[in-house]
Amino acid sequence: MSRTKTDQELIVSRQVLSIPQRFATGPVMGRFLMELRDNKRIMANKCPQCGRHLVPPREVCAICRVEATEWEELGPEGYVTDFDIVYYASPDPLTGETRDVPYVLCWVNLDRTQGESPLWHLLHAPDLAQVRSGLRVRAVFADERTGSMEDIKYFEIIDGACNAGILPA
Amino acid sequence: MSQRNVNMSEEKEYAFVIEGKMALPYQYYAGAIGSKFICALRDEKKILGVRCDACGMTFIPPRQTCERCFADLTEKWVELEPTGIVTGFTVIRYREPYQPKDPPYVLALIQLDGADTPIAHILECGGPNEAKMGMKVKAVFADTPANSMLDISHFEAVRL
Repeated sequence: MSRTKTDQELIVSRQVLSIPQRFATGPVMGRFLMELRDNKRIMANKCPQCGRHLVPPREVCAICRVEATEWEELGPEGYVTDFDIVYYASPDPLTGETRDVPYVLCWVNLDRTQGESPLWHLLHAPDLAQVRSGLRVRAVFADERTGSMEDIKYFEIIDGACNAGILPA
Repeated sequence: MSQRNVNMSEEKEYAFVIEGKMALPYQYYAGAIGSKFICALRDEKKILGVRCDACGMTFIPPRQTCERCFADLTEKWVELEPTGIVTGFTVIRYREPYQPKDPPYVLALIQLDGADTPIAHILECGGPNEAKMGMKVKAVFADTPANSMLDISHFEAVRL
């Protein structure tokens, strides 16, 4: 194949493919999202057999295979178990807009959670050097809530507080 | 299996539907071969393929390499007829905002005269129930440039 340069017109097609979706929450996820929207509460359901919390809730405890029907409020404070600092400017699949980087994703074990069941969300961290496992954080709710995970805007850091000592090994 | 013990009114109370969308930005680079193909459609209303002499195959859309013997086909352009036959088809009956046209319409596999591989395109044949295998069809070129396969607007049935 020749590698010589040509004046050929080269075609590039730039598009945003937009796929409409409908998500039927069902009663369990629906209750979780409705409580976020209407009452700014993070609700978990609880396995009647092993007693662990499921958050976000699930219909069935995957370990005991029994329905989890009991509901309790968790948080809104908790501590970071893990985090990712994201530098790759990926598009937000909901809007097609490129995200601002860097941003921090974190896993938060909410206060009163029985067992390990961290909730995955954004961490608002003006100073990246501050971010570490064990940080105490608090859910900040959006002013306009629609019944989605984004009804929690992000988790914010509670200054100076750290749970590092109680982290499981 | 134990019986479900969630009460039905509670299920109704909490279940709801969230409207959403998935937006996927992408860039498609037609490349040197694909761009020449599209420019010929757009500017000259010519349908170009490539021919592998060793295999005796004419490919469309054109490609750089023969899929059978891996020969370089970069300079092996041939012009194809704008006519061909239907080798397969389906009728689209559902509406979706990003389809090229409103349903119902026919999408057909069309093997152009002189080609050994079919291309998929919109077929206008007088209604969704009129499409037939082996039907003679002819390319209708678009009036306005599309910079894509839609520089052929559609294929229409040739009445013999």
